[in-house]
Amino acid sequence: MDLDKRMTLKDAVAKYIQDGDTVYYGGFQIMVPMALTHEIIRQKKRHLTTIESSTDVGGLDILVGAGCVTEIHSAWIMNWYVKAPYAIRRAFNKGHLKRYDISNFGATSALIAGFLGIPFIPVKGNIGTDMPKHNPTDIRFVEDPFTGDKTTVVRAWRADVAVIHAQKADRYGNVVSYGTRGVTDEFGAMGSKRGVIVTCEEIVEPEEIRSDPDRVIVPYYKTLAVVHCPYGAHPSACRGYYGLDIRFSQYQGKYERHEELLPEFLNEWVYGCADHAAYIEKYKATFGQEGLDRLKPVLGFKPKLDVDYGYHDPACWKGVPLYSDDRLKAYEEALAAKKGGK
Amino acid sequence: MTAPTFKLTELMAIRCAKEINDGEVVFVGVGLPLVVAGFAMVSHAKNMVMFTEGGAIRATAAPGLAITVDDPCLFTNADASFGMLSTMAALQRGEVDVAFIGGAQIDKFGNINSTGAGDWSKRESFTYFAGSGGANDMATSGKRVLAIMPQDKKKFVEKVEYLTTPGFLGGPGEREKLGMIGGGPDCVVSTMGVYRFDEDTKEMYLAEYFPGQTVEKIKAACAWDLKVSPNVIETPSPTEEELAIIRGIDPTNFYLG
Repeated sequence: MDLDKRMTLKDAVAKYIQDGDTVYYGGFQIMVPMALTHEIIRQKKRHLTTIESSTDVGGLDILVGAGCVTEIHSAWIMNWYVKAPYAIRRAFNKGHLKRYDISNFGATSALIAGFLGIPFIPVKGNIGTDMPKHNPTDIRFVEDPFTGDKTTVVRAWRADVAVIHAQKADRYGNVVSYGTRGVTDEFGAMGSKRGVIVTCEEIVEPEEIRSDPDRVIVPYYKTLAVVHCPYGAHPSACRGYYGLDIRFSQYQGKYERHEELLPEFLNEWVYGCADHAAYIEKYKATFGQEGLDRLKPVLGFKPKLDVDYGYHDPACWKGVPLYSDDRLKAYEEALAAKKGGK
Repeated sequence: MTAPTFKLTELMAIRCAKEINDGEVVFVGVGLPLVVAGFAMVSHAKNMVMFTEGGAIRATAAPGLAITVDDPCLFTNADASFGMLSTMAALQRGEVDVAFIGGAQIDKFGNINSTGAGDWSKRESFTYFAGSGGANDMATSGKRVLAIMPQDKKKFVEKVEYLTTPGFLGGPGEREKLGMIGGGPDCVVSTMGVYRFDEDTKEMYLAEYFPGQTVEKIKAACAWDLKVSPNVIETPSPTEEELAIIRGIDPTNFYLG
């Protein structure tokens, strides 16, 4: 096997995201695929539907503000640092955006049902509230066939394509994300129909990843494209690489807030940057290297647990007689005599 | 000896922490609950088990101030980190003692709205907030709900405009009818006082008022005719030691500003 899936951000989005796609939008409040968000905006993808559990740095807000998304299924969206989802609010008010609200575990369960390849899954939440009233697309009630009780179920969510950010991947597309095991990325990504686009901080050798396969959240066969993209989650955080850029999220949030200003932000920080490296260069030119330096995490928390993935060779049984004892021998002899006697 | 000066947000956090008993499994929501849980874990509830939506399970307070529920610091030296599935599944299995949440708007039956203001069906005038997040799941299945939120008349309403997270819904018996395994709201702590829920009517009532507040002021910051416990008391002021702990957790006033 030697299928190199590395490509540029531009090629990955152009090749694998089509207008009208349902997209699993990765991350939660950290590990948000911001470089992919910007590239989807640059390429003016349209009529996307997004599915995810929660997202919190305004990535989805600018994706909606740029006119790429017309349908959202989610539990929680805002730019936490300005405490509102401004562009989403406006798009909903104008009728440009359909929004399907669900609880966090409702969303996670919907992604798990997609991951499992089953049509729907029971959950305990959502019942009794306004969410099922306004979102029968995702939330319904059925009679439990075993007990007859009224049970809440959520529809399986399966994306056409998943976009995620991770710490490391190899050229084949084995994706390593650690610290939360991806929150819900493992389900959203694996449930996708066509596969996964991943941006990562580092490309590492396949041998390194195979030395620790427990950390892989997406195995290579499911991956469409691997994009080497340092700071690919900025201004959200990437564990072990950089923290949340609260000041930049607040800055972006001020633009999200005003309909007239948001296009200026997009022109300058998205359309005006050829790729994510150019965006980071612009960041340094605007806020200084010290802006990036402030995001450096506190490190020194490498696993102390000694783990060895060694295996056992069954060749050692060759020539070893079967284990037995006097009781088993006597029983087996008696059984044979009985059969012989008939 | 002069009494220490403090902010109402500080007292809110310190008083709220006391609602957590040592040894309990607490599902900690986003915002103020993260600070309060940190306080409880280093003061009276050292054996508290901390769950977050991001999937961290912790026996110890996080090494840093968590800004979000999947903040990297929540996973540094955590006891387990399986993702959202693990902690949310524990809720559904009935293993969570305290569902600890914030919210944008609460009503007299403890129902919470974090979805938006206005009538959702009239989409042009609806002001979207973030949505449910995990609050709905937490309040449905946690054994009891502890809520913390700053108080004003727009936040403490007769009936929430959008019911995101179930309290006692329309009144007694309604949660049970829908098969919810959690017991519903137990306590609400605001910037003005402490509230509990009447066993029979399930209506929220004032149990404590903060120093400097009065029952009249609190009733005026509540949009329904708030009932007051005949045994209402003034919440004791925080001690110097308690204030030092809470200020150590949030030194830049990110949450308590």
